[in-house]
Amino acid sequence: MRLLVALLLSFLSLHAQTPRLTDVQERRLANGVRVLLVERRGLSAFHATLVFRGGWAEEPAAAAGATELLARCLYGSTWPEDADPSKIQPALDAQLKQEEGLLEALRLERLRLRQDLAGSSTLPTLESHLESVQARLRAFYPASPLADLYAARGGRQRAEATADALLAHTELPQESFEFWCRTEAQRLRSIQLSRFSQARADLVAELRAQGAQGLALLRGAALPGHPYGRDLADHLPSLEALRWSDLRALARRTLRPDHLMVIIVGGLSLDSALPPLERHLGTLPAPPEAESTLLPEIPADLGDRRVQATLGGTSSLLCGWRLPARRHPDHLSLRLAGQLLGGGRTARLESRLVRQKALVQQVDLRMDLPGCRLPGLLVVGLKPADGHSLAEVEGALHSEILRLHQDPIPQDEWLRAVAQLEADHVRMLDEPAALAGALGGAWAEGGDWRLLETDAQRLRTLTPEAVQAAARRWLKPSHRTTVLLEPTLGGPQNPLEAEMSRVLHALAALRIQDPAQRERLVAEGLRQLRMLNPEERQRTLKLLEGQLSPEQR
Amino acid sequence: MKRLLLAGLAATLALQAQPSPQHFTLPNGLRVVHLEDHEHPLVRVRLHLSLEPGDTLVGHQGLALLAMRMFQHSDAADLKAETFDRLLDDSGIRLSSTAEHGALEWRLAARSRDQDRALGLLADRLLRSIFDPMVLEAQRLACWRQAEQLDAPPFQRLEAALLQAPGARPTLASLGAITLEDLLTFRAKVIRPDRALLLIHGDVGLEQAKRLVLLSLGSWTVQEPPTLTGPPVAAPATAPPGSAADPVCISAPGASLRLQAFLPRPPGVTPEAATLIALLVPGEPTMSPASIAWRPEGLLATLDVGPEMAEAGAWALLQLRLEALRQRGFTTADLERARTAWAAGRSLGSLDAEAQLDAAAALTLGHGATLDRMKTLTQDQLNATLRAWLDVGKARRGLAGSEARQALPPRP
Repeated sequence: MRLLVALLLSFLSLHAQTPRLTDVQERRLANGVRVLLVERRGLSAFHATLVFRGGWAEEPAAAAGATELLARCLYGSTWPEDADPSKIQPALDAQLKQEEGLLEALRLERLRLRQDLAGSSTLPTLESHLESVQARLRAFYPASPLADLYAARGGRQRAEATADALLAHTELPQESFEFWCRTEAQRLRSIQLSRFSQARADLVAELRAQGAQGLALLRGAALPGHPYGRDLADHLPSLEALRWSDLRALARRTLRPDHLMVIIVGGLSLDSALPPLERHLGTLPAPPEAESTLLPEIPADLGDRRVQATLGGTSSLLCGWRLPARRHPDHLSLRLAGQLLGGGRTARLESRLVRQKALVQQVDLRMDLPGCRLPGLLVVGLKPADGHSLAEVEGALHSEILRLHQDPIPQDEWLRAVAQLEADHVRMLDEPAALAGALGGAWAEGGDWRLLETDAQRLRTLTPEAVQAAARRWLKPSHRTTVLLEPTLGGPQNPLEAEMSRVLHALAALRIQDPAQRERLVAEGLRQLRMLNPEERQRTLKLLEGQLSPEQR
Repeated sequence: MKRLLLAGLAATLALQAQPSPQHFTLPNGLRVVHLEDHEHPLVRVRLHLSLEPGDTLVGHQGLALLAMRMFQHSDAADLKAETFDRLLDDSGIRLSSTAEHGALEWRLAARSRDQDRALGLLADRLLRSIFDPMVLEAQRLACWRQAEQLDAPPFQRLEAALLQAPGARPTLASLGAITLEDLLTFRAKVIRPDRALLLIHGDVGLEQAKRLVLLSLGSWTVQEPPTLTGPPVAAPATAPPGSAADPVCISAPGASLRLQAFLPRPPGVTPEAATLIALLVPGEPTMSPASIAWRPEGLLATLDVGPEMAEAGAWALLQLRLEALRQRGFTTADLERARTAWAAGRSLGSLDAEAQLDAAAALTLGHGATLDRMKTLTQDQLNATLRAWLDVGKARRGLAGSEARQALPPRP
């Protein structure tokens, strides 16, 4: 009864304090573009987010990295030659086409030279040609500083490629609204991507530098064969082979008006914002209805999986559980379970494993990795304190999960978790960028922006028993994948893995001609082998070596 | 100039839409800036304490960072550290702290109904934290890990290493040399109301804000700072180039080579010149194939080196590009464009309460650009600043990449 009274009081006070989402206005333009507008009188600027549904999870494997590249070279900046290329487009296209051909020839020549070191090389000639083409390309770029059209108007922009969406965020003074509408429509009409080669080179360099990542290993092992489990670092050869014209064609197919939601938060009324939106973004051609990409289903009950790896850095334990998608009734309960476990400094894992038992030095809990349109993961990352092993930490984590399954949730703990989520919600509503991102996320992940409000309402009626029941259904061993990361001793890759890579390369060279396909196969093979324990890996290595001739071993 | 006037007018109108700051000072010397905004039931508070060169002694690098970790993990007043955190979490109050850019800062965000509790807890943390020797031992290593960012990607580690002056970078030895007494001395010297600036933004009226601040921080008194022995740590800008940490090398096996040159902000740069340079340098075409970016600590030039270029040639190219930009400078048209962009961009503050707090803090502390001074900045002044800033001889250099490729030619 006391719990009920406390919940009622908490509900009433929250109701009085929590701003509502009823001021979100929705319209649909003739070509299918969805528009959400949140009017905030008194703001002299606006925040705009473009959300394209279907993120990197929908990329075909051969175009891995395309969404990230679009975030960088389509929406990272607003260069004049991309925003309004009409006068120069044929000449610019011709140069970009030439650059594409030369980059591809260079890539193939470098791959050929890896196999045939003694052979004659056309590399210097190709490089010299590329240099001259790129010099001609630079002539199309503005020669003066502050050339970015939005920066020159006092604005800023950024873009992000998530598993479920491509999001482009812009902030500009209010008087630039019509300019923004025109520029964004023009950007989508031309999809010029004039700085594609630089963006691709930067992305490849970053991926090479970061090396293998624990979270990527966990995703790969927990969601095998599923796009959510894909690690872009395993697809570097495809990324390097991705051409400017391929990306352009892909963008034309995927960045469609009917996949786009425009979210505006600012001092604009719907009456003033709608006409320019209709004039510009509303006149983008609507391509014929395309078949939606069917992504494979993955059963949550795949069994308890374990991966051991040596990746450098410090030792840590990553434990992930397959969760339902965002629209599933248990999803919100599991969010609360995550909050009880790892939200804030007094949550269970921090309180018990760090403070009381001093087993762990750092706790990191993430929900919906890498996305939640489809079933994703709840991931707990733990770094052992000095003198404690990963096994001890793992045991302690499992005890906490069992405690969540079995012991009643104390009232104060429950109210604290709810209060934190409510306070986060209020902060989100206060920040235009966060609000636009959350509305876009709810649409891209759950199919309806109203989920943001219905989740907030459901949070108030949720019970501790429902959260426990959901935890028992989903946070169980058959849904679990564990990655044990040990620090590198004497090198970035452990010797077994280095040897495995050598053998796989040798075997692939016997069977596959295309170097890019060969690299892809080796990367996938290594990823699969990492899921075996060390003894099994040794045995597999011997079996694979047996297929090579003595001189190849 | 006409465009700037128009942009200035638009910006003035835009700024009227943002809460106007009200200033007051407590009897103990604490300066307070209040920005009233009732759009949402939220209150944000920021407490800023600028660090001075004499606050940290030589051999005690990392003292400020360690002190902040001590505050974060200590008991406060009669509250155990965990009870303190529980009180914050019970109300969903966010309290975070940083020790960077030459200042200590606490940031608080709470629902307006919890403002009394939030301010009270901030005061407890600030004034009544009890530093415990046991906590100190645990925090030394954690502090070193935080500074080193061992688990961060190599390019991120390289940038983090370059942004810190070699003489101010914490090491295991410097952190190990810090005693509890050093921390208490630092605290008495730095955590003083007459050195602090408190900013309050949100759903709280001026009178209520005055009452709140007086109740929570009115008892904060000035204490005589104890005498420090030993020389202070050199200011970052005067850290010697070409020292043992030059170039900074970060191993990134399998990666292509990245060269970076960090150019710290030289002394005497006006906020207006710095603001315009921050707008003008990103995407600067002269730098191609390298790039240059603005950071609060200075300018960071980057060159990713392909397999066709040798290290020595790459470094020479980076220097050449920086020198070309330095010699070319900016035109009057560039200056006008940047002024217009700056004036227009001021309205973006209305979208972000934290940005409004940043701007109010910068103006109060004399770090912020003003429209009047911006109008009088000349092309010569801008280019003189750029020339002083892009002095390659003062750059901190670093590289990340395969271990085999870690040799740079001698500094010019």
